[in-house]
This record gives sequence, C-alpha cells and structure tokens, in this order.
Amino acid sequence: MATAPLPDAPARASRVNPWVLGAGLAVVVPLLAVLVLNLGRDPHSIRSPLVGRAAPAFSLAPVGGGAPVSLASLRGRPVVINFWATWCVPCFEEHAALTASARTFGDVQFLGVVYEDDEARTKAFLADRGSSYPALLDPDGRTAIAYGVFGVPETFFIDGAGRIAEKFVGPLNRATIASLIAKAKGGGP
Amino acid sequence: MSRLALALLLAAAPSLAAAPTSPAPAGGIDAPRGGPLSGAELDARTNEIGGLLRCPVCQGLSVADSPSSMARNMKAEVRDKLAAGYDREQILTYFERSYGEFVRLDPPMRGVNWLVWFGPVAVLVAGGGVVAWAIKRSARNSGAAQATDPGSVPSDLPSRDTLPADARLAEAVRRTRELAYDWPGGVPPKPRPLPS
Amino acid sequence: MIPMLGRALVLLALLAASGGALVGFATGARPTALGWLWARRLAYAFAAFMALANLLMEYALLSHDFSVSYVAHVGSRSVPTWVSMVSLWSSLEGSILFWGLVMGVYVAVATRQNRDKHPEYMPYAVGVWLACGAFFSFLLAGPAQPFATVPGPPLDGPGPNALLQNHFLMVIHPPFLYSGYVGMTIPFGLACAALLVGRLGHDFIRPLRNFLLLPWIFLTVAIVLGGWWAYEVLGWGGYWAWDPVENASFLPWLTATAALHSALLVERKGVLKAWTVTLVIGTYLLTILGTFMTRSGVFNSVHSFTQSAIGPTILVFLAAALIFAVVLLTLRVNALAPEGRLETGPSRDVVFLVQNLLFVLFTFTVLLGTVFPLVVEAARGVQMSVGRPYFDRMSVPIGVCLLFVMGVGPALPWGRATGRQFRCALLPPLFTAAALAVLGFVFGVRNPWTLLALFFGGFTAQVTVSELLLPVRQRMRSHGESFLEAFGQARQRGQRRFGAYIVHAGALLAIVAIAVSSTMGTSKEIQLRQGESTTLGAYSLTFVNAERVSEPHRESVLARMDVSKNGRPIGSLYPRMNQYESQREPIGTPAVRTSLTEDLYLSIHNIDPGSRTVGLLVLVNPMVGWIWIATAIMALGGLLALMPAWRGARVPVTERARVATASPEGSS
Repeated sequence: MATAPLPDAPARASRVNPWVLGAGLAVVVPLLAVLVLNLGRDPHSIRSPLVGRAAPAFSLAPVGGGAPVSLASLRGRPVVINFWATWCVPCFEEHAALTASARTFGDVQFLGVVYEDDEARTKAFLADRGSSYPALLDPDGRTAIAYGVFGVPETFFIDGAGRIAEKFVGPLNRATIASLIAKAKGGGP
Repeated sequence: MSRLALALLLAAAPSLAAAPTSPAPAGGIDAPRGGPLSGAELDARTNEIGGLLRCPVCQGLSVADSPSSMARNMKAEVRDKLAAGYDREQILTYFERSYGEFVRLDPPMRGVNWLVWFGPVAVLVAGGGVVAWAIKRSARNSGAAQATDPGSVPSDLPSRDTLPADARLAEAVRRTRELAYDWPGGVPPKPRPLPS
Repeated sequence: MIPMLGRALVLLALLAASGGALVGFATGARPTALGWLWARRLAYAFAAFMALANLLMEYALLSHDFSVSYVAHVGSRSVPTWVSMVSLWSSLEGSILFWGLVMGVYVAVATRQNRDKHPEYMPYAVGVWLACGAFFSFLLAGPAQPFATVPGPPLDGPGPNALLQNHFLMVIHPPFLYSGYVGMTIPFGLACAALLVGRLGHDFIRPLRNFLLLPWIFLTVAIVLGGWWAYEVLGWGGYWAWDPVENASFLPWLTATAALHSALLVERKGVLKAWTVTLVIGTYLLTILGTFMTRSGVFNSVHSFTQSAIGPTILVFLAAALIFAVVLLTLRVNALAPEGRLETGPSRDVVFLVQNLLFVLFTFTVLLGTVFPLVVEAARGVQMSVGRPYFDRMSVPIGVCLLFVMGVGPALPWGRATGRQFRCALLPPLFTAAALAVLGFVFGVRNPWTLLALFFGGFTAQVTVSELLLPVRQRMRSHGESFLEAFGQARQRGQRRFGAYIVHAGALLAIVAIAVSSTMGTSKEIQLRQGESTTLGAYSLTFVNAERVSEPHRESVLARMDVSKNGRPIGSLYPRMNQYESQREPIGTPAVRTSLTEDLYLSIHNIDPGSRTVGLLVLVNPMVGWIWIATAIMALGGLLALMPAWRGARVPVTERARVATASPEGSS
C-alpha cells in the first residue's frame, strides 16, 4: 500500500509573486542590515554624554576628616577626578601611576573619590600605599551618580574652565594620564 | 471588519498618549516644577519613576527592581528629588544628563524613536487591510471559479456523486460508502420510482 | 583521547548531515527508492553521531577530564554531581552540542515515523533538516568547538556560572527549551518540502501540524519555566522582564501559535496554505534569530554568553536561511492555491484571521522593541534602551484583545452566522463576564485593563466550558448516556478538539492570573534588626536570626524569618545571600511561600550577621501560583490534542458504519 508512487504532481505555476518578494525584502534587508552594522558592538560599554559639558558640582569631605573640597574652588586649574575603591583590583594597578603623576603635574589638581567603600578600609589602604592627593568620601554615591559612573575605575579629566574634556574607563598608566592631561589643557575636544 | 480594526486602534491610542515627549536635555534641571511629596504617595511615585530608570550596572533591571547598591543610591536620589518637588520629566532628565539616553527604559519621543511607537500601529492598520482584502479575494475567487469553470479548482474532497481523482483515495472512499451506506460501487443508487 | 574522539564524532556528524542533505534534495528532485533509503540512513547516522558526542561529553564532565576544553571551561571538582551533569548545557559550546543532540533525536523520530508515507515530500524534508544539522555540526567542528584539546590540563576548573548553580530549575529549563526551540526545525523542513513539491495536500497538513504542536508544548512549558526561574532565583520579585533573550524564546512561540490555528483552517477548508507555510518558516527563522541574539553578545541581556566568533557565523546562516525562505516563497507560493473559501460575514473564519493578525502584531512589536536599540545606534549613533515599561504598555492591549478573541471565536459557528445565532452565541457568556468583573472590583481591582481582562476572561471561560461540554450534552441526549459516560466517549472521539479547549482554558487562566498578579501586588522595603518585626497586608514577619552555612562551592548567610498570617504563625522562611568564590557580588536566593491565592516573597538586599541587621524586600503577589498551574493545564491539553495522531486511529468496521450514519457530533 505504501510504496506505489503517487501520480505526477500537477504542473507547477512558478510565476514569481511580486508581493511576497517585496514583503520579504522589506523585512529581511533592514533586519540583516541592523544586525550586521551592530556586529562587534559591545553593549556594555556606554559612551558618556558628559564629555564636553560642564562637570557636575560637588562638595565632599576627605578621608580622615577635614574641610570639604568643592569643585568650584578649583576653577582655573585642570582637575583629574578618579573614582576608585579598595575592593577593585585594577584600581591597585593604577594607584601608583596616579600618585606619581600627581607629583609630576603640579599645576593639575588630582582628586580621588571613593566609591561604595568604607572609611576605615580606605584609610588603611592609603596608609599602606601612600597618597599624594586627597581621597574624598561619597557616602550616598550621589556624586558618582551625577558623573554617570558605572563602575570603577573611571577617571574624568576636567579643563580649567570646568568642562569635562575626557572620561576614561579602566586602569590608567602614566602615558595615558599625560596625554589626557595635555588634552584637557589644550582646551576642548 | 474595519470597525474591529478601528476599535483596536482606539484601544491603542491611550497607550500612545502616554508616550513621553521631551527634547534632548541641554543643561541643568533648574528649579522644581511640581509640589513636594511625602508619605505613601512619595513611596508610590518613587517606585513608579524607579521603574522607568535603568540600573546602569545590572542587566536590564530597573532601578526600582534592582538590589544593587548603585540602584538603591539612585532610588534614594529619586526620592529626595520628589520630596523636593521636582516632577517626573525633570528627574528623568537629570539622570539622562549623567548616563545618557541609555538610562531611560521607556524610549522618549525623539529622533527616530517615533518608529517604535507608531510601527505597531502601522502594522495593525496594514494588517487589518490585508485581512479584509484576503476575505474579499477569497469570496471573489471562489465565486468566479464557480461561475466560469467548475472543474478548474482541483479539490481532494469528494462530492456525493463522484469519486476523487486520486486513485488510492477513490478506493478508500468507495469502500467506506459500500460498507457504511450500502452503496454498491460507491455510487448512490438511483431514486426508485414511486409505485403508481 | 577523549578530545580527539569527540572531534571525530562531530566531524562524522557533519559529513553525515552534509551528505544526507545532498542526497535528500537530489532524491526529492528525482525520486528513487535507493535515494530515499540513503537519505534515511544518513539522517539516522547524524542522530547517532550527535548522541554519541553528547554521551562522550557527559562522561568527560562527570569524570572531570580537564583535557577537554569545555570541561576545563565549566567543570569543577567541588560542585555537586548534578551540577556537573547539567554543565553540559550550561555554557556556550556545550549548549550547541546539546542542540545537536535534540535535533538528532527529532530528525530520527520524524524520519522513522514517516519512512513510508508522503514519499514525494519526505526526501526534501530530510534534506532541509540535515542542511540545518550540517550547519550546527559545522559550528561544533569550527567556531564553537567543545572538544578542543587543552595542552596542559589544569587540576580543577571554575565551575559553571554561579547563578546556574542556585536552583534545581536549571536542570529542566534548558532541555525543555531546546526541545521546543530545536523542534521547530521539523515543521520548517516539512513546510519547505511542501513549497519545493509545489503542493500542500490534505494528507500532509496533518504531520505538519503534529510536528508543530509537539515542540509548541515544550516551548510553552519552557518559557514559563524561565519565568519561574527568574521569579525563584533572581530575587527582584517578578517573572518576566522582557529581556532580549526572554523575547527570543517568546517570538517563535507567538508565530507557532498563530500557525497552529491557521493550520486548522487549511485542514478544514483548504485555505490559508501559503500563509500557514509562511508562519511555520517564520517560526524557524525566529529561532535562529533568537539563538543569534543570545550568543552574539550584541544584545544587552541577563543571559548574555560572552562575545565569541560564533556570532558572525550564525548571522551568515541566518542570512542564508532568510534569503532561501524569501526565494522559495516567491517562486512557489502561487502553487499553494486555496481550495475553498473564507466566510465574509461574522463567523469563526474571520475571528481566526483576526487572531492571526493579533499574534503577528504581537510578534512584530516584541521584535521591534528588542531590536530597536540597535536600529537607533546605527541611525543616530545614540545608545538607548527599550525596556519593560514599553513592552508592558504594548502587550497589555494585545493580550486583552486575544483573550476576547479566544472567547468570541469558539462561540461563533463555522459558517456564516445569522443574527439570531450571533446573539445566542455571544449574549449568555456576558453574564459570567460581568460577574467576574464585579467580583474583581469587590476585591479591590481598580486598574481598567485588569477589569477588562477579568470581564473577557469570564466571557471566554463560559464559552470554553460550554464548547467542551457541547458533545457531552449531545451524547447524553441522543444516546442516553450518563454524564461521565458521555464525557469519556466525547473525549475519546474528539480528543483533538477536547485538548484544544483545555489549552484555551489554561491560556485564559494564565492571562487573567498575569493581569491580576502584575497590578494587585503590594511591596515593602525595610531594614530590620534582629528581633524586629514588620507587617505587610495580613502577614507579620519577624527577623529571628542570621545563620552562616558552608557548602563546598559557596558560603551562604540565611536569614530566618518567622511568618504569621492574621495572627496565626505559619512557619519560617529562609531567604539567603550566597557568596560564590568566582563572584565579587553575592547573589541572593529569595524565599517564596506559595498558596492558592497569593505568594509571600522575601528577598534579601543586604545582610550583616555582625551587626544583626537585614535589608529586606517583602512582596505579596496575588495569583502567581495560578500561572504555573495554567501552564500545566496548557501542556496537558496540548498532549491530549496530540495523542490521537500516535494512536493511529484504527476504528473497527462496525464502528465506522455507526459513525457514518449518526448525526455529526458537536461540529468542531
């Protein structure tokens, strides 16, 4: 019963259906284009909208007490703000570079802002590793939010007029710090 | 048919009306535009606006849902701003200044974003048109076929007086009719003339 | 030794699939018995090689053979045995290997079942299946090699992702998901075969529909299991976040459901053949798009596997499949001419079309929202998000309309309905509709969409129950049987229809439960010190103590919360915070107490055993348990609808005569 072949299939109407072709292309071409254009894109690296804009103001107390440091008081000099934490491994790597660069570039004010960490641990870390610039505490994370910080380490290079010249995500080395400071001093992107 | 499509469209309209409209943020957010909130309403609005902000360090969770410390800080910021009297757009703009359009979970009507709002409506209307056309065409085709050439549309389904073209199927139908209806040869018997 | 053997098996699978695909297409064009025999043999060979490769990998995982690259990736000596077993599908290359296993099993079963049926279609179908199989074998042989040799095998590995070790659901969610997802390859092959042959006969729609229904059942369960997993494991209190990977599994489900319904019209009236075939092909293409979305690293998602080279490879396959589909449809769709006609007036036909339209609209909307951030990035260079608020806003009206259509459709007759029939069909269920809506209002429902969902839910419930009982009532009247007898007989004779209405019942319950649970929940975030209590609704919670628990792969802190409801103590819940070696941030596991009316959900935000404080999120979510029950009902209904096909419906001669002369029972 099963092996006898069926009679020949009826003659096929192989006209091209233009509607199907049109609809198919209208769906397929944009979809593929979008996917291809986005290949290699890293959805986790978000570009900062603050670059080129005025740096958000803040006034934060340094670790170990003392008068609050405000950004407004530093107008006129380039400022480097480094968001870091003691639990962040790449921050160890860049700490030495930043400390040394702060000594080298006397006219640039370096600031560290501690992100989601506690004061005692920070003090111990700085006592252990040394520091050449103030480390500020950001207890509610408000300053980090204002600067659009996603994680640590992130560093902002601000020019003398108070505009953010560049935001760098990840650990820095001395060469990069130097070139980005030059960019901030050069004024504008 | 078109009435149904219109009904669906009207149902969609309130959703569209809720689409946020705002230009790209230029500078700071100035003075609070709304009144200060407190108590249960403050909690409710904080949750509502928290649901519209994306937690930057999580994968797709809103600030209201995420347990991470950054999300909780952001939620506290929303709460403070609401208590100070800022309204929804101002607060969303504030976060957008820092993090970019990325942080808004509800796409604002800006630039090419209109496509994500009106695309579905366009498909609904177009689809309704296609359905209406398909029904009309089906009615027209079968009507035309019956009028001009009854045999031109091939059909597998047997009619009462004939057997289907396919040999195996014809055999099966014939056997069924013989057994079930007592029709010898699978063909209905001629009506017997009434005794006069 | 094992890596080499594994690579050899993968290569053999690739050869079998490539050869089988060529033989299949050649036999389809020029049918011969020998060609069909070899096509079948190569299909079985592909299945066998894939199965052996998977068994080999399981063995390597369980014996901790770290010379195999995949085992070095995800294996670990310090995890429980069941975690080692499920590591097969926990990570990128292993999950593709598992994909190959599931595909092999499906292809073997589908080939064997149809080995002496539909001879003009089957070689083409096998050709298409094995071409897809060849692609996945190629992935395993090249970009996503799980059996690469590790030159200096480490003594231990990192173990699978911590989140995946948290819950038992990880054991069953991926197998169900793959059984659904990969299973869509089979109807795809059948649909392409119909196009290649140039005909979709009455006999061929049956296997197409059955092989669409089987993966559909798995996929339905898998999607809900994923939601359950998110609910029980991730701790944010919800079950669906419209994450790109969640959407990837949902999109093919939508088109498959539409295809199941339009296939019914093909079977009954011989119309919508081209449309059904398009939907089935679209379903498969969406599964490939979905796997690209999950694995390419291009989408921002909870599930993102890390970026790898297989993204571009899948994209190439997707492009090739899309182009193949468009060309095939363009050239062949005119051959699938309709044999009957659709009703023009108010009738079930029109409602079917509206339902299909709604499902396609839903698919388009979810796809657009998921892909849109990529569109904007390409167009404006800006990174933006399309998140839950957008999807919820779009899906609620569509879901409510679907609920309505699910009630109106079965209520209307198949032919053109007269005014009187229309009224008789649609007016009585309005009573249950109104009753349910009023009941909801009394219980505090104020959200208009939820009230509408309750209204249509009541309407659809009455229609579904009355349609289920229609053949039963007819039998009781005409054969004088008792209710139970009639029920049994009606179920046996019309099991497909019976199962379908059970699925509808489950679906309407799920939609109503989702509507209620997402709008009627209450929540509270609070910091509690040891001994302190808090209340939410009728529940009172006391933080008793925090306890440390050590397991080989993680350190956990459990918070003991004593719960009482309406003053009566009902036990303790233990939400926990787990610290895995490989993660910086601890990962919480919520504690959920499910009852028929509502869930009490506790999730820890922060816990400090030293200072004895816990930061807690407390949620009371009504009717969540009903979502899981409703899914089980849908799966049961699907199985019922599928079963008659496998029993082969052999009806004895005398029975046939009785059936043929009796009046039609419950026109369906």
